[in-house]
Amino acid sequence: MEKKPKKIGVYICHCGGNISDYVDVEKVRQSVEGEDIVFIAKTTMFACSDANQRDMVEDIKANELDGVIVASCSPKLHQLTFRNVSIRADLNKYTYVHANIREQASWAHSDNKMGATEKAIHLVKAAIAKSRYAEALETNKIKAKKAVAVVGAGVAGIKAAISLAEKDTEVILIEKEPFVGGRVAEWGSLFSTNETGQQMIERLSSDLSKFSNIKLMTSTEVIENKGSVGNINLKVKSDDEKVTVLNVGSVLIATGFDSYTPEYGEFGYATSENVITLPQFKRLIDTQFDKLVYNGKQIKNIAYIYCVGSRQTDGENTYCSRNCCTSTIHAAVTAKGKFGDINNYHFNRGLRTYGKQEILYADSLRQGDIYLQSYEDGLPTVATEGKKTIVKINDILTNGREIEVEVDLVVLVTSMVPRADNTVGTLFKLPKGRDKFYNEVHMKLRPVETVIDGITIAGACQGPKNITESVNSALSAATKSYSILSKGELETDPLVATIDPEACTWCGACEAACPFDAILKVENGKKVIAEINNSVCKGCGMCAPVCEPDAVNLIACSSKEIMSMIDALV
Amino acid sequence: MEKESNTPNGTNSSSPLGVGGSNPIKNITYDALVIGAGIAGGEVALNLANTGYKVLLVDKELSVGGKMIMLSKVFPTLDCAACITTPKVSEISRHPNITIFTGSEVSNIKKLSDNEFTAKVTKHPRYVRVEDCTACQLCEKACPVNVRDQYQFGLIGRKAAFIPFSICSPKAAAIDIDNCTLCGACEKACPTNCIDFTQETEIMNLHVKTVVVATGFDMFDAKKMPRYGYGQHKNVITALQMERELAPTRPFNTILRPGDGKVPDKIAYVLCVGSRDASVGNPICSQICCMYSIKQAQLLMGALPMADVTIYYINIRSFGKGFEEFYQQAKGMGVNFVKGKIGRISEKEGGNLILRYEDINEGKLQEAEHDMVILSTGVLPNTGIDKFFENQTLTLDPFNFVGQSDALASPARTSIEGVFVAGTATGPMDIPDSILSAGAASSEAISYLVNQHN
Amino acid sequence: MTETKENIVNNTNFSSPLGVGGNSPLGAGGSKKSAKILVFSTEKISDPAIDMAGLLKLHYPPTVYTITVPCSSGIKPSWILYAYEKGFDGVFIAADGSDCVFGESCTEKTGHLVGKTHNLMKEKGIEPARLRMAAICSVCSESFVKQIRTFNEYLLKTAP
Repeated sequence: MEKKPKKIGVYICHCGGNISDYVDVEKVRQSVEGEDIVFIAKTTMFACSDANQRDMVEDIKANELDGVIVASCSPKLHQLTFRNVSIRADLNKYTYVHANIREQASWAHSDNKMGATEKAIHLVKAAIAKSRYAEALETNKIKAKKAVAVVGAGVAGIKAAISLAEKDTEVILIEKEPFVGGRVAEWGSLFSTNETGQQMIERLSSDLSKFSNIKLMTSTEVIENKGSVGNINLKVKSDDEKVTVLNVGSVLIATGFDSYTPEYGEFGYATSENVITLPQFKRLIDTQFDKLVYNGKQIKNIAYIYCVGSRQTDGENTYCSRNCCTSTIHAAVTAKGKFGDINNYHFNRGLRTYGKQEILYADSLRQGDIYLQSYEDGLPTVATEGKKTIVKINDILTNGREIEVEVDLVVLVTSMVPRADNTVGTLFKLPKGRDKFYNEVHMKLRPVETVIDGITIAGACQGPKNITESVNSALSAATKSYSILSKGELETDPLVATIDPEACTWCGACEAACPFDAILKVENGKKVIAEINNSVCKGCGMCAPVCEPDAVNLIACSSKEIMSMIDALV
Repeated sequence: MEKESNTPNGTNSSSPLGVGGSNPIKNITYDALVIGAGIAGGEVALNLANTGYKVLLVDKELSVGGKMIMLSKVFPTLDCAACITTPKVSEISRHPNITIFTGSEVSNIKKLSDNEFTAKVTKHPRYVRVEDCTACQLCEKACPVNVRDQYQFGLIGRKAAFIPFSICSPKAAAIDIDNCTLCGACEKACPTNCIDFTQETEIMNLHVKTVVVATGFDMFDAKKMPRYGYGQHKNVITALQMERELAPTRPFNTILRPGDGKVPDKIAYVLCVGSRDASVGNPICSQICCMYSIKQAQLLMGALPMADVTIYYINIRSFGKGFEEFYQQAKGMGVNFVKGKIGRISEKEGGNLILRYEDINEGKLQEAEHDMVILSTGVLPNTGIDKFFENQTLTLDPFNFVGQSDALASPARTSIEGVFVAGTATGPMDIPDSILSAGAASSEAISYLVNQHN
Repeated sequence: MTETKENIVNNTNFSSPLGVGGNSPLGAGGSKKSAKILVFSTEKISDPAIDMAGLLKLHYPPTVYTITVPCSSGIKPSWILYAYEKGFDGVFIAADGSDCVFGESCTEKTGHLVGKTHNLMKEKGIEPARLRMAAICSVCSESFVKQIRTFNEYLLKTAP
């Protein structure tokens, strides 16, 4: 039976110059248009634009193409977009093949235009090689459990739980402490509202309890995570040693942050009795009235040293912790308002009271706070001289003059850092960014999703945030989790493993290699062979290399595909 | 062909408005009204539509995409803005549950009861039948009228019959009737006869169950600070204008200064123009200008390797994820950072500019000569949003942004129950924050819609 | 005509990686400035790092080509041998390491298949140092670039 020769369309994107400034896209086009299966080859300014997508659909329909290839940016951005183009043109989405000639050609080799162009040609030819084998595949539909496990009952976790419960979704809210509210529950006065942190958490807890579809489990931790989106099985253990199995469709991680602990001696921490951290200071001012006292002494002069544990030039925390400037100035202004006779000295490295928070800085200046800014290469120092604590700085605003202030208390403005306890991160395989907080897939296109389907992240576990920002992130994650599960079913990727029944001699190696129990031993006529359970198989491929007779291949990543790509690349 | 339908997916309970003459007002019904089709409005519309609700997305401009679609690249990753916006815009325009009205405005929003709002939607005539327009640009070529192009922020001109910009959606021409001489040349040139001068303003009565305000922001008008010379000194431009010069769909082939077309090599950025400045009525920080200026500086260093770029700042606010690293990267590339507020900009013969400032590090007054100055203007609220609402009060905050009734615990709620707010309508914020804020507004709106059935 | 490129490749001792077949991107003649390296990256973990290297403009030789697979423990030794056969100077596996989305067994399995491949390479007379593996996390762009540059230098140096 004669198989019709394949016809594909190849689209090479300029990416508005991002690619075409370094890669000669016309040369790439010419190099590939002669390939056997290439029916049309075009260049385009923005492959992802509406106009080009429409053109592609028209091209496919008019020429009866069997598939298309787009050579453009990373598939992380637009593989989905172009798969959808294929669907609109009545093609199966798995006939679509992508080539990354931006991140992996024009950008990576922007110092060598000829090299970048040659590489782009190879990458497109490899995509064409893969396309020769690309076939229509049908997805499996599996039931998705309309339940979400929210890990962490801080302000982000609570708001996410309420959001989901309001949308008729079952929620299990898991919290390792015996109380809810995380950090906010420990806070008194908050910036820009008269409500204290404790009052806010009381209010939110009361909202939480109105929902019969939220099961709150405090003093509980997750100990096991199995399964995949739509059907995740978690084992949790409460402090009474009771273990419960939970079956959910997706998981929302809202485990929050820790505060940086300064090193021994850092700005006098632990060596001087008058040096405390910002969280300790906040607690101090919230729990005292009338007079501010610490270590038996009444406090009048306070030094705040900013950026402790952030923007480090010789440490790992190079990031800015976003909200400490506002948090500190708020504490300073509150202290002055509450205790009267207080002088605040802010030893900073440039203030970041962004947006409307600027008003707080202006208020603080108006009430007489003193701001001393250090040069980028010279930090303030804290010294103890007898009973005195002196903070010294070379101040920019007085042209580098050294200024020293004798204070009663030094407050180190400590940053937000990722949780030291990485149990949840390990259990859920959460990837981390350069700042070591959990990493989202794409900051703009997919800000609350992770590379693991069905696991979303919310709140400060993704990066330093204030309450408003954490809540926005939590509600976004809840909306995302809800939209994944709301239809009650999900499509699984058909990119699973396959076994050649002729070659298989059942040795059990693949079954042993599979971490998901997706391989079964079955009888096939006279032989005993292995068989893949398609709805459980995750398509990792661990079974493939261990097969001696080479009977195992992953769909779209089989030996013939890989080897023909190698042919094209070399 | 681009689907910008005039017949909504909702119900239609009276005879449709015919062309010409006065006719009964059409009634249209949707689940949700989203005002503003920028990145935040678009995100909300998508979230609601994906959940199954019917959304009417209204924007007063001729295209969706807001400010983001006009940008070059976005910080801190330097992804191209078009690469991120165009697919979203594409998804929105194709979605079966979303109807888009561009060139349209909303007014007289009345809350009748829970989950019941009515509003007046006014669709201004485009004078082009969008379904038939192929964006061939023949009308543009034929038109004799030249005016300043607002989509390139005045850098170049456009015709009165024009396609707003190359990546606009809907991709169709429009007639700028205020500047049109009614000569008819465009009509004659149009190969599909889609130009229709008989189109009239269409007014519709809208019924919805929830409203989301995503009306975005305005930029500070640099003319309000005459000491910087914007509008008088030809080579002083705003950051949005430079954004267009840097964008892939740029008006010129290279970066040049408007005065004489010379490629600049000593460029200055002036930060905090119209922000942190009570004397011009805006005491708050605009949050994005430090970062967008650093971004533009990096792009300039890339485009003009021999150029010198200096940023005059008060504080560099690089507070977000990856921002501090982005700032250090710019320093590494050779961008100069000078701490000092610019007192005055004067012009020399030949078009160069003298910047007079206090150099904080040196502790003295200095003057520096540059051949091009970019003013990093601040973010202001889009005014008049509260006037959209008739029988309820949409409270504004002290800075005239849309007020958030529970700013910390429910940032998308407003003073009107059932009306939610997303994005920069609440205050300055960057793109990731706008998207998260839109996610929050979506969550509130969906919950509000779900609970009406109970 | 009997001495076709294919025949030369099949009959030659594989310990001389350079000069056999392939397209030298810097043109014929003169010394080759970069070796031909095939990288196996993983879709969710190491490929994002390689993308980020591009994003950050961390340059590396343009004769480094990447094939993306779901997991580094799914790479077949036969593919690696085929790459040498076809003219690649080196093969680099950008492994998932402990970040693998499919579980902790990935590290052990990837190590195991590298061991197996080394044995097969020794049998065929291919220098085992022409195969390298390193765990590349999703933001380890600098590490990736450093590894590739070092590998490239090694391959150029050990060419006859």
